[in-house]
Amino acid sequence: MAEKEAASTSTLAGGEYEAEDVLADAEPWEPIETKLVVWSFIIAGIVLVIGLFIVPTSVLH
Amino acid sequence: MTSVNRKWYSGMATQEDWWAVYLGLFFFFLGLLSIAGVDLVGWAVYPTKWVFNVPEGGKGAISHAFYALGSKYSLTAKAFYKSLGWWSIIWTYVIFTIATCIGAASMKWDLKRFFIGWTIIYFLTIATWFIGHHAFFAANKTNWHQYGLNFALSLGGGASFILALIFGLIIGNFFKGFANYLSVAAKPEWYIKTAIVFLGVKVGYLPIKAAATSAKMGQQMASLTGHLFLAGAVATIVAYLIFWPGIYLIARKMFKLPRKTAAVLGSGISICGVSAAVATGGAVRAKPVVSIMVSALVVVWAVIELVVLPGFFTHIWPGTADPLVAGSAMGMAVKTDGADAAAGDLLDEFMRNKVTAETNGAVVWPEGVITTSAVMTKVWIDMFIGLWAFVLAMIWVYKIDRRPGETVQASEVWHRFPKFVLGYFAAWFIYLGIFFANGAGAPEGMHVLKAAKAGAVPVEKGFRKLFFMLTFMSLGIITDFSKLAEAKFGRMVWVYFVALFCFIIPVAIIIAYLFHHGMQIPNIAGQVAAG
Repeated sequence: MAEKEAASTSTLAGGEYEAEDVLADAEPWEPIETKLVVWSFIIAGIVLVIGLFIVPTSVLH
Repeated sequence: MTSVNRKWYSGMATQEDWWAVYLGLFFFFLGLLSIAGVDLVGWAVYPTKWVFNVPEGGKGAISHAFYALGSKYSLTAKAFYKSLGWWSIIWTYVIFTIATCIGAASMKWDLKRFFIGWTIIYFLTIATWFIGHHAFFAANKTNWHQYGLNFALSLGGGASFILALIFGLIIGNFFKGFANYLSVAAKPEWYIKTAIVFLGVKVGYLPIKAAATSAKMGQQMASLTGHLFLAGAVATIVAYLIFWPGIYLIARKMFKLPRKTAAVLGSGISICGVSAAVATGGAVRAKPVVSIMVSALVVVWAVIELVVLPGFFTHIWPGTADPLVAGSAMGMAVKTDGADAAAGDLLDEFMRNKVTAETNGAVVWPEGVITTSAVMTKVWIDMFIGLWAFVLAMIWVYKIDRRPGETVQASEVWHRFPKFVLGYFAAWFIYLGIFFANGAGAPEGMHVLKAAKAGAVPVEKGFRKLFFMLTFMSLGIITDFSKLAEAKFGRMVWVYFVALFCFIIPVAIIIAYLFHHGMQIPNIAGQVAAG
Protein backbone atom coordinates (compact mmCIF):
# COMPACT_ATOMS: atom_id res chain seq x y z
CA MET A 1 0.00 0.00 0.00
CA ALA A 2 2.74 2.36 1.00
CA GLU A 3 4.65 1.83 -2.21
CA LYS A 4 1.50 2.21 -4.23
CA GLU A 5 0.79 5.48 -2.43
CA ALA A 6 4.30 6.73 -2.94
CA ALA A 7 4.09 6.03 -6.62
CA SER A 8 0.69 7.52 -7.11
CA THR A 9 0.77 10.50 -4.77
CA SER A 10 -0.04 13.71 -6.56
CA THR A 11 0.00 12.34 -10.05
CA LEU A 12 -3.00 11.71 -12.19
CA ALA A 13 -2.39 10.41 -15.62
CA GLY A 14 -5.68 8.81 -16.48
CA GLY A 15 -5.64 5.62 -14.46
CA GLU A 16 -7.89 2.66 -15.03
CA TYR A 17 -11.25 2.52 -13.29
CA GLU A 18 -12.33 -0.76 -11.80
CA ALA A 19 -15.99 -1.60 -12.12
CA GLU A 20 -16.47 -2.10 -8.40
CA ASP A 21 -19.43 -0.50 -6.76
CA VAL A 22 -18.04 1.42 -3.85
CA LEU A 23 -21.08 3.62 -3.50
CA ALA A 24 -23.54 0.98 -2.30
CA ASP A 25 -24.10 -0.79 1.03
CA ALA A 26 -23.71 2.16 3.36
CA GLU A 27 -23.19 0.98 6.93
CA PRO A 28 -25.56 2.30 9.63
CA TRP A 29 -24.43 5.49 11.34
CA GLU A 30 -22.55 4.71 14.55
CA PRO A 31 -21.94 6.77 17.70
CA ILE A 32 -18.20 6.96 16.97
CA GLU A 33 -19.01 8.85 13.77
CA THR A 34 -21.10 11.32 15.74
CA LYS A 35 -18.16 11.78 18.11
CA LEU A 36 -15.75 12.31 15.23
CA VAL A 37 -17.96 14.90 13.57
CA VAL A 38 -19.02 16.73 16.73
CA TRP A 39 -15.50 16.90 18.20
CA SER A 40 -14.14 18.17 14.93
CA PHE A 41 -16.69 21.01 14.96
CA ILE A 42 -16.00 21.74 18.65
CA ILE A 43 -12.23 21.96 18.10
CA ALA A 44 -12.84 24.17 15.06
CA GLY A 45 -14.95 26.49 17.24
CA ILE A 46 -12.27 26.66 19.91
CA VAL A 47 -9.49 27.37 17.37
CA LEU A 48 -11.73 29.99 15.74
CA VAL A 49 -12.27 31.88 18.99
CA ILE A 50 -8.60 31.72 19.98
CA GLY A 51 -7.56 32.64 16.43
CA LEU A 52 -9.81 35.68 16.32
CA PHE A 53 -8.07 36.97 19.44
CA ILE A 54 -4.48 36.21 18.49
CA VAL A 55 -4.44 37.01 14.77
CA PRO A 56 -3.88 40.78 14.47
CA THR A 57 -5.65 40.98 11.11
CA SER A 58 -8.88 39.32 12.29
CA VAL A 59 -12.18 41.22 12.36
CA LEU A 60 -11.89 41.52 16.16
CA HIS A 61 -8.93 43.90 15.84
CA MET B 1 -0.13 1.09 6.71
CA THR B 2 1.73 -0.68 9.47
CA SER B 3 3.49 -3.45 7.67
CA VAL B 4 5.96 -1.42 5.62
CA ASN B 5 8.93 0.16 7.40
CA ARG B 6 10.04 3.12 5.35
CA LYS B 7 13.17 5.10 6.15
CA TRP B 8 12.78 8.82 6.67
CA TYR B 9 14.60 9.42 3.40
CA SER B 10 12.44 7.01 1.35
CA GLY B 11 11.36 8.51 -1.93
CA MET B 12 13.90 11.32 -1.93
CA ALA B 13 15.13 10.29 -5.35
CA THR B 14 11.86 9.11 -6.81
CA GLN B 15 9.05 11.45 -5.75
CA GLU B 16 7.79 14.50 -7.63
CA ASP B 17 7.50 16.28 -4.32
CA TRP B 18 11.24 16.03 -3.67
CA TRP B 19 12.13 16.84 -7.25
CA ALA B 20 10.11 20.03 -7.01
CA VAL B 21 12.33 20.96 -4.05
CA TYR B 22 15.55 20.07 -5.91
CA LEU B 23 14.57 21.91 -9.07
CA GLY B 24 13.21 24.92 -7.21
CA LEU B 25 16.12 25.28 -4.82
CA PHE B 26 18.77 24.65 -7.49
CA PHE B 27 17.59 27.64 -9.51
CA PHE B 28 16.99 29.60 -6.31
CA PHE B 29 20.66 29.13 -5.34
CA LEU B 30 21.78 30.01 -8.87
CA GLY B 31 19.83 33.24 -8.45
CA LEU B 32 21.39 33.89 -5.03
CA LEU B 33 24.85 33.96 -6.62
CA SER B 34 24.00 37.42 -7.94
CA ILE B 35 24.85 38.70 -4.46
CA ALA B 36 28.41 37.55 -5.14
CA GLY B 37 28.35 39.35 -8.50
CA VAL B 38 27.71 36.27 -10.66
CA ASP B 39 24.50 36.33 -12.68
CA LEU B 40 23.64 32.82 -13.85
CA VAL B 41 19.87 33.14 -14.28
CA GLY B 42 19.48 36.22 -16.48
CA TRP B 43 18.72 34.03 -19.52
CA ALA B 44 15.18 33.40 -18.17
CA VAL B 45 12.73 34.01 -21.00
CA TYR B 46 9.83 36.42 -20.47
CA PRO B 47 7.14 37.74 -22.80
CA THR B 48 5.95 41.28 -23.25
CA LYS B 49 2.89 42.74 -24.93
CA TRP B 50 3.03 43.05 -28.72
CA VAL B 51 0.96 44.05 -31.75
CA PHE B 52 1.28 43.38 -35.48
CA ASN B 53 1.46 47.09 -36.37
CA VAL B 54 3.26 49.31 -33.91
CA PRO B 55 1.80 52.85 -33.88
CA GLU B 56 4.17 55.76 -34.36
CA GLY B 57 5.79 56.57 -31.03
CA GLY B 58 4.12 53.52 -29.51
CA LYS B 59 5.48 50.15 -28.49
CA GLY B 60 4.87 46.42 -28.95
CA ALA B 61 7.24 45.29 -31.72
CA ILE B 62 7.07 41.53 -32.33
CA SER B 63 10.86 41.42 -32.38
CA HIS B 64 10.78 42.31 -28.68
CA ALA B 65 7.91 39.99 -27.75
CA PHE B 66 10.35 37.76 -25.85
CA TYR B 67 13.43 38.88 -23.97
CA ALA B 68 15.86 37.57 -21.37
CA LEU B 69 15.05 39.03 -17.97
CA GLY B 70 18.77 39.64 -17.35
CA SER B 71 18.63 42.32 -20.05
CA LYS B 72 16.60 44.42 -17.62
CA TYR B 73 17.76 43.34 -14.19
CA SER B 74 21.30 41.98 -14.44
CA LEU B 75 23.99 44.12 -12.82
CA THR B 76 26.93 42.28 -14.32
CA ALA B 77 25.94 40.82 -17.72
CA LYS B 78 23.19 43.08 -19.04
CA ALA B 79 24.71 43.45 -22.52
CA PHE B 80 25.06 39.72 -23.01
CA TYR B 81 21.50 38.98 -21.90
CA LYS B 82 20.21 41.83 -24.07
CA SER B 83 21.75 40.14 -27.09
CA LEU B 84 19.72 36.96 -26.47
CA GLY B 85 16.24 38.33 -27.33
CA TRP B 86 14.09 35.49 -28.67
CA TRP B 87 17.04 33.12 -28.22
CA SER B 88 16.27 33.19 -24.53
CA ILE B 89 13.47 30.73 -25.40
CA ILE B 90 16.10 28.21 -26.51
CA TRP B 91 18.40 28.91 -23.56
CA THR B 92 15.51 28.34 -21.16
CA TYR B 93 14.45 25.23 -23.06
CA VAL B 94 17.91 23.64 -23.03
CA ILE B 95 18.62 24.33 -19.36
CA PHE B 96 15.20 23.22 -18.10
CA THR B 97 15.19 20.20 -20.41
CA ILE B 98 18.42 19.01 -18.83
CA ALA B 99 17.08 19.67 -15.32
CA THR B 100 13.68 18.04 -15.83
CA CYS B 101 15.12 15.07 -17.72
CA ILE B 102 17.47 14.36 -14.80
CA GLY B 103 14.41 14.40 -12.55
CA ALA B 104 12.40 12.20 -14.93
CA ALA B 105 15.26 9.68 -15.15
CA SER B 106 15.60 9.62 -11.38
CA MET B 107 11.86 9.04 -11.02
CA LYS B 108 12.22 6.19 -13.50
CA TRP B 109 9.86 7.64 -16.07
CA ASP B 110 10.12 6.71 -19.77
CA LEU B 111 12.90 9.20 -20.57
CA LYS B 112 12.51 9.23 -24.35
CA ARG B 113 8.75 9.84 -24.12
CA PHE B 114 9.26 12.42 -21.39
CA PHE B 115 11.83 14.28 -23.50
CA ILE B 116 9.57 14.37 -26.57
CA GLY B 117 6.47 15.19 -24.50
CA TRP B 118 8.26 17.90 -22.54
CA THR B 119 9.60 19.44 -25.76
CA ILE B 120 6.12 19.55 -27.31
CA ILE B 121 4.51 20.92 -24.15
CA TYR B 122 7.26 23.52 -23.69
CA PHE B 123 6.96 24.94 -27.20
CA LEU B 124 3.15 24.80 -27.12
CA THR B 125 3.36 26.73 -23.86
CA ILE B 126 5.70 29.32 -25.35
CA ALA B 127 3.41 29.72 -28.38
CA THR B 128 0.44 30.20 -26.06
CA TRP B 129 2.40 32.69 -23.94
CA PHE B 130 3.13 34.64 -27.11
CA ILE B 131 -0.50 34.69 -28.28
CA GLY B 132 -1.74 35.58 -24.79
CA HIS B 133 0.50 38.64 -24.75
CA HIS B 134 -1.02 40.20 -27.83
CA ALA B 135 -1.99 43.64 -26.58
CA PHE B 136 -5.66 42.95 -27.38
CA PHE B 137 -5.68 40.32 -24.61
CA ALA B 138 -3.12 41.70 -22.18
CA ALA B 139 -3.13 45.52 -22.36
CA ASN B 140 -5.39 47.50 -20.07
CA LYS B 141 -7.12 50.86 -20.17
CA THR B 142 -4.08 52.74 -18.93
CA ASN B 143 -1.79 51.62 -21.74
CA TRP B 144 -3.77 50.18 -24.67
CA HIS B 145 -3.38 53.44 -26.63
CA GLN B 146 0.40 52.84 -26.63
CA TYR B 147 -0.26 49.77 -28.77
CA GLY B 148 -2.56 51.63 -31.15
CA LEU B 149 -5.72 50.04 -29.71
CA ASN B 150 -8.98 51.64 -28.68
CA PHE B 151 -10.06 48.62 -26.71
CA ALA B 152 -8.39 45.61 -25.08
CA LEU B 153 -9.65 42.78 -22.88
CA SER B 154 -7.45 43.93 -19.97
CA LEU B 155 -6.66 40.39 -18.87
CA GLY B 156 -2.97 41.02 -18.26
CA GLY B 157 -0.95 37.81 -18.00
CA GLY B 158 -4.18 35.99 -17.14
CA ALA B 159 -5.05 35.69 -20.83
CA SER B 160 -2.04 33.41 -21.35
CA PHE B 161 -3.10 31.18 -18.46
CA ILE B 162 -6.64 30.87 -19.81
CA LEU B 163 -5.41 30.14 -23.32
CA ALA B 164 -2.94 27.53 -22.04
CA LEU B 165 -5.76 25.82 -20.18
CA ILE B 166 -8.06 25.97 -23.21
CA PHE B 167 -5.39 24.57 -25.56
CA GLY B 168 -4.60 21.86 -23.04
CA LEU B 169 -8.29 20.97 -22.65
CA ILE B 170 -8.71 20.79 -26.43
CA ILE B 171 -5.84 18.31 -26.59
CA GLY B 172 -7.07 16.39 -23.54
CA ASN B 173 -10.65 16.05 -24.77
CA PHE B 174 -10.44 15.96 -28.59
CA PHE B 175 -7.03 14.40 -29.25
CA LYS B 176 -6.99 11.74 -26.58
CA GLY B 177 -4.30 9.58 -28.20
CA PHE B 178 -1.96 12.57 -28.39
CA ALA B 179 -2.89 13.58 -24.83
CA ASN B 180 -2.11 10.08 -23.65
CA TYR B 181 1.30 10.27 -25.32
CA LEU B 182 2.00 13.62 -23.71
CA SER B 183 0.81 12.46 -20.30
CA VAL B 184 4.32 11.23 -19.38
CA ALA B 185 5.45 14.86 -19.43
CA ALA B 186 2.13 16.54 -18.53
CA LYS B 187 2.79 16.76 -14.79
CA PRO B 188 0.83 19.68 -13.36
CA GLU B 189 1.56 18.74 -9.75
CA TRP B 190 5.31 18.61 -10.34
CA TYR B 191 5.37 21.86 -12.25
CA ILE B 192 3.21 23.71 -9.78
CA LYS B 193 5.14 22.49 -6.76
CA THR B 194 8.31 23.72 -8.43
CA ALA B 195 6.55 27.01 -9.17
CA ILE B 196 5.54 27.24 -5.51
CA VAL B 197 9.19 26.96 -4.46
CA PHE B 198 9.86 29.83 -6.90
CA LEU B 199 6.94 31.61 -5.27
CA GLY B 200 8.84 31.37 -1.97
CA VAL B 201 11.49 33.54 -3.65
CA LYS B 202 8.73 35.96 -4.61
CA VAL B 203 7.34 36.21 -1.08
CA GLY B 204 10.81 36.75 0.39
CA TYR B 205 11.72 39.22 -2.35
CA LEU B 206 8.56 41.38 -1.97
CA PRO B 207 10.04 43.47 0.89
CA ILE B 208 13.27 43.93 -1.12
CA LYS B 209 11.27 45.12 -4.10
CA ALA B 210 9.19 47.45 -1.97
CA ALA B 211 12.34 48.81 -0.30
CA ALA B 212 13.26 50.33 -3.66
CA THR B 213 10.50 52.87 -2.93
CA SER B 214 11.35 53.39 0.73
CA ALA B 215 12.61 51.44 3.71
CA LYS B 216 9.19 51.91 5.29
CA MET B 217 7.45 50.33 2.32
CA GLY B 218 9.83 47.36 2.50
CA GLN B 219 9.07 46.81 6.17
CA GLN B 220 5.36 47.20 5.46
CA MET B 221 5.59 44.40 2.89
CA ALA B 222 7.56 42.16 5.27
CA SER B 223 4.86 42.73 7.87
CA LEU B 224 2.08 41.96 5.37
CA THR B 225 3.60 38.62 4.36
CA GLY B 226 4.07 37.79 8.05
CA HIS B 227 0.41 38.54 8.72
CA LEU B 228 -0.65 36.41 5.75
CA PHE B 229 1.42 33.59 7.20
CA LEU B 230 -0.30 33.71 10.60
CA ALA B 231 -3.82 34.44 9.34
CA GLY B 232 -3.47 31.68 6.73
CA ALA B 233 -2.42 29.15 9.35
CA VAL B 234 -5.33 29.76 11.72
CA ALA B 235 -7.91 30.14 8.94
CA THR B 236 -6.80 26.86 7.43
CA ILE B 237 -7.03 24.88 10.67
CA VAL B 238 -10.51 26.25 11.38
CA ALA B 239 -11.68 25.71 7.80
CA TYR B 240 -10.40 22.19 7.61
CA LEU B 241 -11.93 21.11 10.91
CA ILE B 242 -15.28 22.38 9.59
CA PHE B 243 -14.87 21.12 6.01
CA TRP B 244 -14.07 17.49 6.73
CA PRO B 245 -16.92 16.63 9.12
CA GLY B 246 -19.33 18.70 7.01
CA ILE B 247 -18.50 16.77 3.84
CA TYR B 248 -18.55 13.50 5.75
CA LEU B 249 -22.04 14.32 7.05
CA ILE B 250 -23.30 15.32 3.59
CA ALA B 251 -21.87 12.15 2.01
CA ARG B 252 -23.16 9.83 4.73
CA LYS B 253 -26.53 11.38 5.62
CA MET B 254 -27.71 13.02 2.40
CA PHE B 255 -26.15 10.71 -0.18
CA LYS B 256 -26.01 7.49 1.88
CA LEU B 257 -22.42 6.63 0.96
CA PRO B 258 -20.39 3.98 2.80
CA ARG B 259 -18.04 5.16 5.55
CA LYS B 260 -14.73 4.73 3.74
CA THR B 261 -15.95 6.36 0.56
CA ALA B 262 -17.32 9.26 2.61
CA ALA B 263 -14.00 9.60 4.47
CA VAL B 264 -11.96 9.71 1.26
CA LEU B 265 -14.41 12.17 -0.28
CA GLY B 266 -14.24 14.26 2.88
CA SER B 267 -10.48 14.59 2.55
CA GLY B 268 -10.47 14.97 -1.23
CA ILE B 269 -13.01 17.79 -1.24
CA SER B 270 -11.75 19.40 1.97
CA ILE B 271 -8.01 19.37 1.66
CA CYS B 272 -5.69 19.03 -1.18
CA GLY B 273 -7.49 16.76 -3.55
CA VAL B 274 -5.36 14.08 -5.04
CA SER B 275 -2.72 13.53 -2.38
CA ALA B 276 -5.27 13.86 0.44
CA ALA B 277 -7.60 11.36 -1.22
CA VAL B 278 -4.75 8.91 -1.68
CA ALA B 279 -3.44 9.45 1.87
CA THR B 280 -6.87 9.05 3.46
CA GLY B 281 -7.69 6.08 1.23
CA GLY B 282 -4.57 4.43 2.63
CA ALA B 283 -5.35 5.46 6.19
CA VAL B 284 -8.89 4.05 6.25
CA ARG B 285 -8.05 1.23 3.86
CA ALA B 286 -10.60 2.12 1.26
CA LYS B 287 -10.48 0.23 -2.04
CA PRO B 288 -7.94 1.89 -4.37
CA VAL B 289 -10.68 2.67 -6.88
CA VAL B 290 -12.26 5.09 -4.37
CA SER B 291 -9.12 7.24 -4.22
CA ILE B 292 -8.80 7.13 -7.99
CA MET B 293 -12.42 8.16 -8.53
CA VAL B 294 -12.20 10.97 -5.99
CA SER B 295 -8.88 12.13 -7.47
CA ALA B 296 -10.37 12.30 -10.96
CA LEU B 297 -13.32 14.31 -9.64
CA VAL B 298 -11.02 16.63 -7.74
CA VAL B 299 -8.99 17.43 -10.85
CA VAL B 300 -12.01 18.03 -13.07
CA TRP B 301 -13.84 20.18 -10.50
CA ALA B 302 -10.67 22.11 -9.73
CA VAL B 303 -10.46 23.11 -13.37
CA ILE B 304 -14.08 24.29 -13.26
CA GLU B 305 -13.33 26.31 -10.10
CA LEU B 306 -10.23 27.72 -11.77
CA VAL B 307 -12.35 29.05 -14.61
CA VAL B 308 -15.23 30.36 -12.48
CA LEU B 309 -13.83 31.67 -9.18
CA PRO B 310 -11.20 34.26 -10.23
CA GLY B 311 -13.79 36.09 -12.35
CA PHE B 312 -16.44 35.74 -9.64
CA PHE B 313 -14.19 37.09 -6.88
CA THR B 314 -12.93 39.93 -9.09
CA HIS B 315 -16.17 41.16 -10.62
CA ILE B 316 -18.96 40.08 -8.25
CA TRP B 317 -17.64 39.78 -4.72
CA PRO B 318 -15.48 40.91 -2.89
CA GLY B 319 -13.85 42.70 -5.84
CA THR B 320 -10.94 45.05 -5.30
CA ALA B 321 -12.33 46.10 -1.91
CA ASP B 322 -10.99 42.97 -0.21
CA PRO B 323 -8.50 41.24 -2.54
CA LEU B 324 -6.81 39.21 0.18
CA VAL B 325 -10.13 37.78 1.38
CA ALA B 326 -10.61 36.55 -2.19
CA GLY B 327 -7.08 35.13 -2.37
CA SER B 328 -7.35 33.34 0.94
CA ALA B 329 -10.82 31.95 0.10
CA MET B 330 -9.41 30.69 -3.18
CA GLY B 331 -6.69 28.80 -1.33
CA MET B 332 -9.27 27.07 0.84
CA ALA B 333 -11.76 26.36 -1.94
CA VAL B 334 -9.70 25.09 -4.88
CA LYS B 335 -8.59 21.56 -4.26
CA THR B 336 -5.35 20.92 -6.07
CA ASP B 337 -2.07 22.75 -5.65
CA GLY B 338 -1.88 23.30 -9.38
CA ALA B 339 -5.35 24.71 -9.86
CA ASP B 340 -5.19 26.75 -6.65
CA ALA B 341 -1.89 28.47 -7.33
CA ALA B 342 -2.92 28.94 -10.94
CA ALA B 343 -6.31 30.37 -9.90
CA GLY B 344 -4.51 32.60 -7.38
CA ASP B 345 -2.24 33.94 -10.09
CA LEU B 346 -5.20 34.50 -12.38
CA LEU B 347 -6.98 36.34 -9.60
CA ASP B 348 -3.83 38.38 -9.01
CA GLU B 349 -3.74 39.43 -12.67
CA PHE B 350 -7.48 40.22 -12.78
CA MET B 351 -7.50 42.20 -9.53
CA ARG B 352 -4.39 44.23 -10.33
CA ASN B 353 -5.65 45.09 -13.78
CA LYS B 354 -9.07 45.99 -12.40
CA VAL B 355 -7.78 48.27 -9.64
CA THR B 356 -5.38 50.00 -12.04
CA ALA B 357 -8.17 50.55 -14.57
CA GLU B 358 -10.69 51.69 -11.91
CA THR B 359 -8.29 54.30 -10.56
CA ASN B 360 -6.73 55.31 -13.88
CA GLY B 361 -3.35 54.14 -12.66
CA ALA B 362 -3.45 55.95 -9.31
CA VAL B 363 -3.39 52.57 -7.52
CA VAL B 364 -0.97 49.85 -8.59
CA TRP B 365 -0.55 46.70 -6.54
CA PRO B 366 2.68 44.72 -6.60
CA GLU B 367 2.42 41.49 -8.47
CA GLY B 368 2.17 38.29 -6.44
CA VAL B 369 0.65 39.43 -3.13
CA ILE B 370 -2.80 38.02 -3.95
CA THR B 371 -1.22 34.84 -5.31
CA THR B 372 0.69 34.58 -2.05
CA SER B 373 -2.52 34.81 -0.01
CA ALA B 374 -4.03 31.98 -2.08
CA VAL B 375 -0.97 29.78 -1.82
CA MET B 376 -0.41 30.49 1.87
CA THR B 377 -3.69 28.84 2.93
CA LYS B 378 -3.04 26.00 0.50
CA VAL B 379 0.43 25.37 1.88
CA TRP B 380 -0.98 25.12 5.39
CA ILE B 381 -3.66 22.74 4.19
CA ASP B 382 -0.98 20.63 2.50
CA MET B 383 0.93 20.41 5.77
CA PHE B 384 -2.24 19.30 7.47
CA ILE B 385 -2.67 16.26 5.19
CA GLY B 386 -0.11 14.12 6.97
CA LEU B 387 -1.45 14.92 10.41
CA TRP B 388 -5.07 14.31 9.42
CA ALA B 389 -4.27 11.04 7.62
CA PHE B 390 -2.52 9.94 10.81
CA VAL B 391 -5.50 10.90 13.01
CA LEU B 392 -7.95 9.13 10.70
CA ALA B 393 -5.75 6.05 10.54
CA MET B 394 -5.75 5.85 14.34
CA ILE B 395 -9.52 6.35 14.58
CA TRP B 396 -10.16 3.72 11.92
CA VAL B 397 -7.71 1.18 13.36
CA TYR B 398 -8.61 1.62 17.02
CA LYS B 399 -12.27 2.65 16.90
CA ILE B 400 -14.08 1.90 13.66
CA ASP B 401 -12.48 -1.20 12.15
CA ARG B 402 -11.07 -2.27 15.54
CA ARG B 403 -8.08 -4.19 14.13
CA PRO B 404 -6.52 -5.93 17.15
CA GLY B 405 -2.75 -5.76 17.56
CA GLU B 406 -2.31 -3.17 14.83
CA THR B 407 -0.50 0.14 15.39
CA VAL B 408 0.04 3.31 13.43
CA GLN B 409 3.60 4.63 13.17
CA ALA B 410 4.14 8.32 13.88
CA SER B 411 6.61 8.41 10.97
CA GLU B 412 3.58 8.34 8.66
CA VAL B 413 3.17 12.06 9.39
CA TRP B 414 6.60 12.73 7.86
CA HIS B 415 5.97 10.46 4.87
CA ARG B 416 2.75 12.30 4.09
CA PHE B 417 4.25 15.73 4.65
CA PRO B 418 4.34 17.76 1.40
CA LYS B 419 8.09 18.20 0.93
CA PHE B 420 7.88 21.04 -1.59
CA VAL B 421 6.69 23.20 1.30
CA LEU B 422 10.25 22.97 2.68
CA GLY B 423 11.60 24.53 -0.49
CA TYR B 424 8.95 27.26 -0.38
CA PHE B 425 9.77 28.26 3.19
CA ALA B 426 13.55 27.97 2.68
CA ALA B 427 13.43 30.33 -0.32
CA TRP B 428 11.12 32.74 1.50
CA PHE B 429 13.04 32.91 4.76
CA ILE B 430 16.47 33.18 3.13
CA TYR B 431 15.42 36.21 1.07
CA LEU B 432 13.65 37.68 4.09
CA GLY B 433 16.86 37.12 6.09
CA ILE B 434 18.85 38.94 3.39
CA PHE B 435 16.40 41.85 3.64
CA PHE B 436 16.68 42.20 7.41
CA ALA B 437 20.42 41.40 7.57
CA ASN B 438 21.11 44.29 5.21
CA GLY B 439 19.36 47.08 7.03
CA ALA B 440 15.75 46.28 6.01
CA GLY B 441 15.83 48.93 3.29
CA ALA B 442 18.33 51.32 4.92
CA PRO B 443 20.59 53.08 2.37
CA GLU B 444 23.80 51.34 3.52
CA GLY B 445 22.43 47.90 2.64
CA MET B 446 20.73 48.80 -0.63
CA HIS B 447 23.62 47.68 -2.85
CA VAL B 448 23.28 44.13 -1.51
CA LEU B 449 19.49 44.22 -1.93
CA LYS B 450 19.89 45.43 -5.53
CA ALA B 451 22.31 42.57 -6.24
CA ALA B 452 19.85 40.13 -4.65
CA LYS B 453 17.07 41.54 -6.83
CA ALA B 454 19.08 40.82 -10.01
CA GLY B 455 19.08 37.11 -9.15
CA ALA B 456 15.62 36.95 -7.62
CA VAL B 457 13.58 38.47 -10.47
CA PRO B 458 14.42 35.88 -13.16
CA VAL B 459 13.46 33.14 -10.67
CA GLU B 460 10.33 34.61 -9.11
CA LYS B 461 9.06 36.17 -12.33
CA GLY B 462 10.49 34.24 -15.28
CA PHE B 463 10.71 30.70 -13.98
CA ARG B 464 7.62 30.97 -11.80
CA LYS B 465 5.41 32.24 -14.63
CA LEU B 466 6.83 29.66 -17.04
CA PHE B 467 6.03 26.85 -14.62
CA PHE B 468 2.55 28.25 -14.02
CA MET B 469 2.02 28.20 -17.78
CA LEU B 470 3.30 24.62 -17.99
CA THR B 471 0.88 23.75 -15.18
CA PHE B 472 -2.13 25.20 -16.99
CA MET B 473 -1.22 23.44 -20.22
CA SER B 474 -0.59 20.10 -18.46
CA LEU B 475 -3.73 20.38 -16.35
CA GLY B 476 -5.77 20.79 -19.53
CA ILE B 477 -4.02 17.87 -21.21
CA ILE B 478 -4.78 15.40 -18.42
CA THR B 479 -8.34 16.62 -17.79
CA ASP B 480 -10.92 14.45 -19.49
CA PHE B 481 -14.42 15.81 -18.98
CA SER B 482 -15.98 12.61 -20.25
CA LYS B 483 -15.02 11.02 -16.94
CA LEU B 484 -17.74 13.07 -15.31
CA ALA B 485 -20.27 11.48 -17.59
CA GLU B 486 -19.44 7.94 -16.56
CA ALA B 487 -22.48 6.50 -14.89
CA LYS B 488 -20.83 5.26 -11.73
CA PHE B 489 -19.54 8.73 -11.01
CA GLY B 490 -23.06 10.11 -10.98
CA ARG B 491 -23.69 10.22 -7.25
CA MET B 492 -20.14 11.32 -6.41
CA VAL B 493 -20.36 14.16 -8.91
CA TRP B 494 -23.47 15.37 -7.12
CA VAL B 495 -21.92 15.00 -3.67
CA TYR B 496 -18.99 17.05 -4.91
CA PHE B 497 -21.21 19.67 -6.52
CA VAL B 498 -23.41 20.12 -3.43
CA ALA B 499 -20.45 20.04 -1.05
CA LEU B 500 -18.37 22.48 -3.04
CA PHE B 501 -20.87 25.14 -3.91
CA CYS B 502 -23.22 24.91 -0.94
CA PHE B 503 -20.67 24.27 1.78
CA ILE B 504 -16.95 24.58 1.01
CA ILE B 505 -16.94 27.85 -0.93
CA PRO B 506 -19.34 29.73 1.41
CA VAL B 507 -17.48 28.54 4.53
CA ALA B 508 -14.12 29.39 2.91
CA ILE B 509 -15.34 32.90 2.12
CA ILE B 510 -16.66 33.46 5.67
CA ILE B 511 -13.45 32.24 7.32
CA ALA B 512 -11.26 34.17 4.89
CA TYR B 513 -13.32 37.26 5.70
CA LEU B 514 -12.97 36.76 9.46
CA PHE B 515 -9.18 36.65 9.27
CA HIS B 516 -8.29 38.81 6.24
CA HIS B 517 -10.96 41.49 6.02
CA GLY B 518 -9.46 44.94 5.62
CA MET B 519 -5.88 43.80 4.93
CA GLN B 520 -4.37 46.32 2.54
CA ILE B 521 -1.90 45.77 -0.28
CA PRO B 522 0.66 48.61 -0.47
CA ASN B 523 0.19 50.96 -3.41
CA ILE B 524 3.34 51.08 -5.56
CA ALA B 525 2.03 53.51 -8.17
CA GLY B 526 4.81 55.99 -7.36
CA GLN B 527 7.46 53.31 -7.71
CA VAL B 528 6.08 52.17 -11.08
CA ALA B 529 5.94 55.75 -12.32
CA ALA B 530 9.51 56.35 -11.16
CA GLY B 531 10.71 53.12 -12.77
